[in-house]
Amino acid sequence: MRHRALGPLGAVTLVIVFVLGVSVGVGGQAPSATAPSGTKVFDETATNTDAAIRKATEVARTAGTATKNWTPPRTAWGDPDIQGYYFNHSSYTPLERPAALGDKAFYTEEEALAAFKKAVETDAEVDPRVVHYDWKEYGMDAWQMSGVRPNLRTSLIVDPPDGRIPPLTPEARKRLAAAAAAEKAKGIDVTSPGTYTRCITGNGGPPRIPGGVTAESQILQTPGYVVMVHQSNNDVRIIPLDGRPHLPTTVSQWLGDARGHWEGTTLVVETTNFNAERNWRGSTETMHLVERFTLVGPKTLRYQFTVTDPATWTRPWSIDSLLPQIDPPIYEFACHEQNYGLINWAIGSQLREKEAAASGQSAQPLRDER
Amino acid sequence: MRIRVKEVAALAAFVLAAPWLAPVPLGGQTPSATFPAYKAPRTSDGRPNLNGIWQSFTTANWDILAHAAQPGPHPEVMGAWGAGPGGQGIVEGNEIPYQPWAAAKKEENFKSRMVVKVTNDPHRYDTGEPELQCYRPGVPRANYMPYPFQIFQTREQILIVYEFKGAIRTIYMNSKEEAPSDTWMGWSKGRWEGDTLVVDVSAFESYTWFDRAGNFHSDALHVVERYTPVSPYHLQYEATIEDPKVFTRPWKMSFPIYRRVEPNVQLIEFNCVPFVQEMMYAPLGLYKPRNK
Repeated sequence: MRHRALGPLGAVTLVIVFVLGVSVGVGGQAPSATAPSGTKVFDETATNTDAAIRKATEVARTAGTATKNWTPPRTAWGDPDIQGYYFNHSSYTPLERPAALGDKAFYTEEEALAAFKKAVETDAEVDPRVVHYDWKEYGMDAWQMSGVRPNLRTSLIVDPPDGRIPPLTPEARKRLAAAAAAEKAKGIDVTSPGTYTRCITGNGGPPRIPGGVTAESQILQTPGYVVMVHQSNNDVRIIPLDGRPHLPTTVSQWLGDARGHWEGTTLVVETTNFNAERNWRGSTETMHLVERFTLVGPKTLRYQFTVTDPATWTRPWSIDSLLPQIDPPIYEFACHEQNYGLINWAIGSQLREKEAAASGQSAQPLRDER
Repeated sequence: MRIRVKEVAALAAFVLAAPWLAPVPLGGQTPSATFPAYKAPRTSDGRPNLNGIWQSFTTANWDILAHAAQPGPHPEVMGAWGAGPGGQGIVEGNEIPYQPWAAAKKEENFKSRMVVKVTNDPHRYDTGEPELQCYRPGVPRANYMPYPFQIFQTREQILIVYEFKGAIRTIYMNSKEEAPSDTWMGWSKGRWEGDTLVVDVSAFESYTWFDRAGNFHSDALHVVERYTPVSPYHLQYEATIEDPKVFTRPWKMSFPIYRRVEPNVQLIEFNCVPFVQEMMYAPLGLYKPRNK
C-alpha cells in the first residue's frame, strides 16, 4: 500500500513502471532464429508461469528505471511522434472493478501478481459450447503472445471512484427496454448480434476498450493528420489536426467524426457524430468521446478516454490504460466478404429460439464477439 | 480560410488558363506529351508529396472499356437513378486481350452480375458483382470507383484509405518482404522512379472484378501502378495488368486522378455492410422485416 501515499500521480507512475516492459521479448523468448543449431539454452519461462511472471516483472522494473526522464521523439515537422504498432490489451485488469473491492483502486504488488496468475490460468477457459483453440498451448493467449503484464490497477475505469460504469438514466433504461422488446418482437436475425460479428465495426469501438482478440493497431502521422488503423475489421480513423469544425450533426458515422490537437506531448482526440444504430454500451448518437494518447516510454502508449452521454449515463466515465508496442504489420481483415460466421450464428441462434419456444422458455442466443 | 479561398481561386485560374486542359484523350498518353514540366512539392524526406484527398472522374466503374449510356438492371424501380453514364473507357487500345475461355466467362459474369449467393461452399465468391455485395474492390478498381481516397505518405510506407467501404492498402517502400497471404487489396511494394511512385501489387484473391460489366482476373493478377504528379491538382495514373491465366498479353489502363480542394474536405464514411444485409440474408430467412 506504499503507493497510496504517493497520491494519484505517483500511483500512475508506479503502474506504468510495472507494465513498461511489455514489448520486451515475452518471457525472455527473444527471436533466436539465428542461434546456431544446438546452442539454444532451454528457457524455463517458456513453460513455467511463475518463472515467466517473475522475469516479466524484473524486465518491467529495469525498463521503468531506464525511461524515467524519457521524452518522446518528434516528427520531422515538429509534432510529437507517437507512430508505431500497438496492442490494445496490456493487462488482465477488467474494465469494471469487482464490486467487492469497493474504492480500492490499486492492488499491492503481491495482490497484483496473484490476480495476474489467476488470469493467466483462466485465459484459455471458454464456453464449452463453442469451438475453440487452446490458446495457452499454442502460445496464443494474451500474455504469451501479446505482452499482457501485471498491473496494479484493480479496474481500467478510474472515474467514478468505484471503478464502475455509472448507472443508466431513467430515460436510457426506458429506451433500452423498448429496444429489447422491439428486438424480441422481430426475432433473431443477422442484425441481432454486435457490430463486430456483423463486420460493421471492429470491437464495437471507438473508444478502444482494452482486451479481446485482434487488438492490434497502428498509428501513422503525416503533417496535419494522425491516422489510426485497427486490425479488427480494418477500422480506420482519420484525425485532422487543423482545428476544423466537426461535420454537421446530420452526418453520422459508425466510427464517429474525430478531431485532434496536441496538448504538450499528448494527442487529444474529440469524437462526435456517432451513428444512432451503433448502440455502444447503450449510448446514443449524442455520445461525446475525448481520448488522450501519450507516449510514456519508447514502447508504451498511455491511453485514456472519457465518455459523456447525458441521455445514457448519470455522469461521465473515464478509463486509464497502457498500450504496449508490438511488431508490424496490420493485415487485411476482409470480414464481411462472405461472412458465413454471421450466417452460422444466425441459423444456430434461430434454432435455439425455436427450441426455447417449443419448451416454453426464453431464448438464449449464441454468444457473439461484440 | 484565406489560404483555402486562394487555393480554390488558384485552381480556377489554373483550369481556365490551361489550354492543354481542352479535350485530353484518356489512355496511353505520357504526361510530358501534354503537360508542361512539373516538379511536385517535397515531403520532409525529399520525395514528391502525394498526401491529400484524391478522386478520379471516369465512368470506368461501370465498364473499363468504351461504352454507351445504359439503363440499370431494374429500370422498373430504379429509373434514371439506376442508369449508367456512357464513357470512353480507360484501357489502352480499348481492348482487353482475353483468352477465348475468359472472353466467354466475362459475358457470363455480366449476365450473372446481380446473382447473390451466400453459402459456405468452397466456390462461394464465384458469383455476382463484388461491389454489389459491398466487398473490397481490389486494385486498380479502387482507384477509379466514384469515391475519393486519401493518401498518407511516410518514408517507409504509404497508406491509402478508400472511402468505399473504408478499404485500405499499405504500400511498403523499398521492401523485399513477400506477401503473407493472398488478399482482396493485394500486397503493395513501392519505389520512386524520379517523381513517379511505382507500385508493384500482387498476391490477390481471384474474387474481385474490374467493373460492373464483368471484366475479371484470376489470382495470378499482377498490377504495376505508376502515379506521376503532373500539376498541383492532378496525378497521371497508369496501371499495367498482367495475368497469364486470363489474358494473352499484358495490357494497360490510364486516367488522371484529381485533387479534392474543397475547404475542410474529408472522406465521409461509406460503410455499406448494413446496406446489403437485406439483399444478402433475406433469401436465407436470416433477415426479418423491420417494424417501420
